[in-house]
Amino acid sequence: MKSNEPFIRLSHPRRVLRATSAVLIALLFVIPILYVVMISIESSGHFLARPLVPPLSPSFQNFSSAWQQGDLGPEVVNTIVYAVSAAAISTVLSLFIAFPIARRLVRWSSGLYRFIVLGICLPLPIIPLFIEARTLHLYDNRIGYIILHVEPGLPLGVILLTAFISSIPKELDEAAWLDGAGYLRYMASFVAPLAWPSVVITFLYSLLAVWNDIIGPVVFLSNPSLFPVTRGVYNFYSSNESAYTLLAAAVIIVSLPVVALFLASQRQLLRSTMGISA
Amino acid sequence: MHRKPLGTNLLSPRSRLIMWGGLGLGVLFYTLFGIVPAVANLAVSFTNYSGFSGSSTAFTGLSNYTALFTTQRPGFIASLEDTVFFVVGVTVVQNVVAMLLAHRLQGRGKTAALLRILAFFPLVLGVTVVGIVWLLLFDPLSSPAEAAFGAIGVHSAFFGSGTWAMPLVIVVQVWQNLGFTMVVFIGGLKAIPVEVYEAAAMDGITPWGRFRLVTWPLMAPSVTVNVLLAVIGSLTTYNLIYILTDGQFGTNTLGILAFNSAFGNTADLGLGAAVTMVLLAAAVVVALPVVSLLRLRERRLLV
Repeated sequence: MKSNEPFIRLSHPRRVLRATSAVLIALLFVIPILYVVMISIESSGHFLARPLVPPLSPSFQNFSSAWQQGDLGPEVVNTIVYAVSAAAISTVLSLFIAFPIARRLVRWSSGLYRFIVLGICLPLPIIPLFIEARTLHLYDNRIGYIILHVEPGLPLGVILLTAFISSIPKELDEAAWLDGAGYLRYMASFVAPLAWPSVVITFLYSLLAVWNDIIGPVVFLSNPSLFPVTRGVYNFYSSNESAYTLLAAAVIIVSLPVVALFLASQRQLLRSTMGISA
Repeated sequence: MHRKPLGTNLLSPRSRLIMWGGLGLGVLFYTLFGIVPAVANLAVSFTNYSGFSGSSTAFTGLSNYTALFTTQRPGFIASLEDTVFFVVGVTVVQNVVAMLLAHRLQGRGKTAALLRILAFFPLVLGVTVVGIVWLLLFDPLSSPAEAAFGAIGVHSAFFGSGTWAMPLVIVVQVWQNLGFTMVVFIGGLKAIPVEVYEAAAMDGITPWGRFRLVTWPLMAPSVTVNVLLAVIGSLTTYNLIYILTDGQFGTNTLGILAFNSAFGNTADLGLGAAVTMVLLAAAVVVALPVVSLLRLRERRLLV
């Protein structure tokens, strides 16, 4: 990747302009988050008296209170189970669809590809899906909830993986298959490792979608012990609307895992997003 | 390409079976939970299905649609207006701001890299967290917004106010998706060869001329993608609105109206499906001309 910026020394006013704009952009994205972090370490007494003044002595009481009152522990576990399983199944199925398409191993490969890509344009039809979930006994249970969250990740996964697999030389397939490697072993020990960057991205985008889903938990679940964190935190908000400091702590707790995951993979995530219009 | 599919004959029969099984399972999932419900939506829209077990369901023909377009559903026309306001607002603001950010943050420096990551944060945090963060920021009783606007004598219920709610919802929707749109634009900018800029610089081009005559035409594909994603996304979205206002205070777009008709107090899945059909029709009516217009522009500029 070459930089498009002209290699010239910037004049003084331009440098000031660049520095100012950088600060403004940082503030745009940091202030909302910083505010929530700040009030999460304020005592509620401090918040009521001087909400916008940072606390002199930060307290982490809110985090333990929110954890207990919001019953966040079981909900975090639910979310992890749902998101990891659905994203893993979605990624494996995307790979199973993408490989034969990329290698044109089946008739109508390009027609099949277009059929799957169509799914990107279709908004999730939540009402018929709700009826389907009840008919197929996928409503209000863990396995059902996971199964219902596999499909949304497939179209993007197939697009990313088909593009990546096409760049892996075909000769490798033939060499491995002549050596007698089975399909599953070949996929697991050659295709998946070689296509690893796009496997990771498929998994991550799918995981984020399940992790952050709020409509699914409202429509497909009614037993509170099955709720993921999104619905838990939203209920916490609805029932404790004035407990701002607790709410801020709860929001931070449920965000930490995805934020950590994002920071670990941001380079690949941003790079693959750049290629979307290519 | 009319090449005969080749290569599977190197696989053992068992392996071939596994290949077909994996492909079939994937396509089955996609069809069962993606295509079938999308098609079934039309069928549901012709019924009075309530979703309650025990209540009977009848075929009611076009009555859901006639109910929408006559006075029986007084909120529908207002909802169309809210939708137009929301879609136009989000599409314009999101693309203009993301374009500016992309120009500022496309470089290789450390600051730009850090700011790109920051801009992606709202997407990672998700609608629930982002929604609650903005509800806290604009809390009518005690919040930075209350303090700032109160200082100039303006007091408002913000997300609970008929005049403020829609602009604020647009701001949050844009804030959430800005990073993604920007990164797609940066991808478009990076695809432009440096040589083109060098040639333009030799001709003594002004910065504005450089953008208008070189950058803007050559990043056409990324503009098409972003405008389309913004239009379709804002037209069909409702999860953020569900958190922020639940469609009240002039933010009752078709997306949230469909959801609340089906799962709100009315529990009328048929009516919700009918609103969804109107939404889909609107998406097609808006997206097709937008796509063909932008593609036309791409062809004219790139060939």
